[in-house]
Amino acid sequence: MTTRIADRRPATLQILLSGFLILWLIVAAFPFLWTLWGSFKVEGDFFSKADWMNAITGPLTQAQTGSSMTGDGYYGAWVQEEFWRAALNSLIVVVAVVCISLTFGTLGGYALSRSPYRYAFWLLLVALVFRAMPPITLVSGYLLPFFEWNLWGHLPTAIIVLVAINQPFTLWMLTSFFRNIPKELDESAMVDGCSRFQAFRHVIIPVMWPGVITTGLFSFLLAYNDFAVTAMLLSKENQTMIPKIASFLGTTQTAGNVMFAVSSVVSVTAPLFVLVMFFQRQIVSGLTAGAVKG
Amino acid sequence: MARIQLRNLSKRWGSFVGLKPMNLDINDGEFLVLLGPSGCGKTTTMRMIAGLEDASEGDIMIGERRVNDLEPKDRDIAMVFQSYGLYPTMTVYENIRFPLKVRGIPQAEHHDRVMRAAAAVELNEFLERKPAALSGGQRQRVALARAIVRKPKVFLMDEPLSNLDAKLRVSTRAQIKNLHHELQTTTIYVTHDQIEAMTLADRVVVMSRGEVQQIGTPLQIYDRPANTFVAGFIGSPAMNLIAGEIRGGVFEAANVRIPGFAGVSDGKVTLGFRAEDAGLAPAGEIAAPVYSMELLGDSSMATVQAGGALVAIRAAKNFSAQIGDPIAAHVPAGICHLFDPTTGQRIDRRTVPAGKETA
Repeated sequence: MTTRIADRRPATLQILLSGFLILWLIVAAFPFLWTLWGSFKVEGDFFSKADWMNAITGPLTQAQTGSSMTGDGYYGAWVQEEFWRAALNSLIVVVAVVCISLTFGTLGGYALSRSPYRYAFWLLLVALVFRAMPPITLVSGYLLPFFEWNLWGHLPTAIIVLVAINQPFTLWMLTSFFRNIPKELDESAMVDGCSRFQAFRHVIIPVMWPGVITTGLFSFLLAYNDFAVTAMLLSKENQTMIPKIASFLGTTQTAGNVMFAVSSVVSVTAPLFVLVMFFQRQIVSGLTAGAVKG
Repeated sequence: MARIQLRNLSKRWGSFVGLKPMNLDINDGEFLVLLGPSGCGKTTTMRMIAGLEDASEGDIMIGERRVNDLEPKDRDIAMVFQSYGLYPTMTVYENIRFPLKVRGIPQAEHHDRVMRAAAAVELNEFLERKPAALSGGQRQRVALARAIVRKPKVFLMDEPLSNLDAKLRVSTRAQIKNLHHELQTTTIYVTHDQIEAMTLADRVVVMSRGEVQQIGTPLQIYDRPANTFVAGFIGSPAMNLIAGEIRGGVFEAANVRIPGFAGVSDGKVTLGFRAEDAGLAPAGEIAAPVYSMELLGDSSMATVQAGGALVAIRAAKNFSAQIGDPIAAHVPAGICHLFDPTTGQRIDRRTVPAGKETA
């Protein structure tokens, strides 16, 4: 009979390990679960000064709306405050950023990975330096010219800046993915009758899909979660979701607004959960890409 | 089908010389093998012919056309790589069909040609599989099929057998030889394995350190090596090479005394002979204690120390001796080759045709 290594550990250690895991899980998941639950209450319950238990039981919510759960926060944010517009803007920005940075990233990454020259290495190193800079340092430089040229406040402007910030990372990541693809593949494609670009298009990219998806996912997250660039560069009517949430928090005069922020936070997070769970395999392989080779 | 000419072809990377100027004429339909140890420039030469590497100097002619400035796809060649270079996302069928597809050959012909190529390398049962689901030998056959499907002017094969196990190597070798006989396409084949070179080639180019050492038929190279490098590289075991001195027509080195070199001027020389040309004898030109004995199956190999080198002598398979036993070998001057000890170049003798036993 075989026993697993885990079964042979002493019982106390087993309990300790499980206890720690459960504790960690609660600590990690609690803020989100708390927010999710609270987003269906009114502000008086969720931020109750009398008793924190009110956030769970919701007596004020019962009194105000006739039920212990209410969708008022969601209705207020999405319909009254037109959060759907911000969601649409986010969608436009994110799709554009991902498409543009993947286009340049795959072409550039392929070129850099196949380049026999040393400057390819230095280009990547410079890219790393730009990646290391906080995005806000770039934004302060952009602001004045954008105002002067009347570019400030439009979605395309934010898209270009996000692509610029994102590109070093995509380039770096895609290069290491391309390096893992043997050169013989390009070479046999070229001997078989492809030009360099056809080899890239018909042979290399099909092999690269996992890498492209992973990199695209990381670009997506960067653009989706960005606050610094979108908050500084977009006018109020063109705001994406994250700065919009911040603006809900900024005006606390009315009772509903904080709850709008809470409900929109939940709305923003939910798709991320789905996405990460759906692509978890690619994300992990992306995190370890280049760890062993290349 | 085409004749290939290399004129003063050379390759440098910075100050490193990958290939010294090389001249070579490859006849239409010839099977030419570039043979040499790793780093000798044989693969570089092939990659320049393929267009995967730029030539530093010199011309490459395929047919009557100078191809130096042409892309690989415009040179009308097909190449088989050591690591196969199959497209992992395509099935075997699609892999073989790929050259037809990208070159815009009419769709209607595709199926027929793919099936014929697959049949030539006995792959018909595997057409729907992906390369990952094939064994090494099958993968290499897919690469071969992909090369022959298009009927190019030239086949280039870069160590196609070196990733296969010994048994498969022999059968695939036979398959390549048969394919060449059938298609009669000019073929350049790169290998470091001299047995592959001997069995496949019409002509062999032996290379070392970016330089051509000898060009000739397998028999010429085996019988009349042009220098000590070729002598020490070709044959298994390689030719025995003994450093010694000739004085008054007699070659002498430690444990060695071979007379019969009349007409050869006195001085230091390197003497070479093949283990299978020599034989054991009660008394002979070489007398020394046994250093080691190896049974090869069809014969056994006795090794002795002579002239500061290990010298192998072929013996009958039932011959047995203990290490340290004194033995003697008959090595007549007729089977010996002489080389200049400093340049390594062959010294030709008028009196005895080298490599032919006349004693």
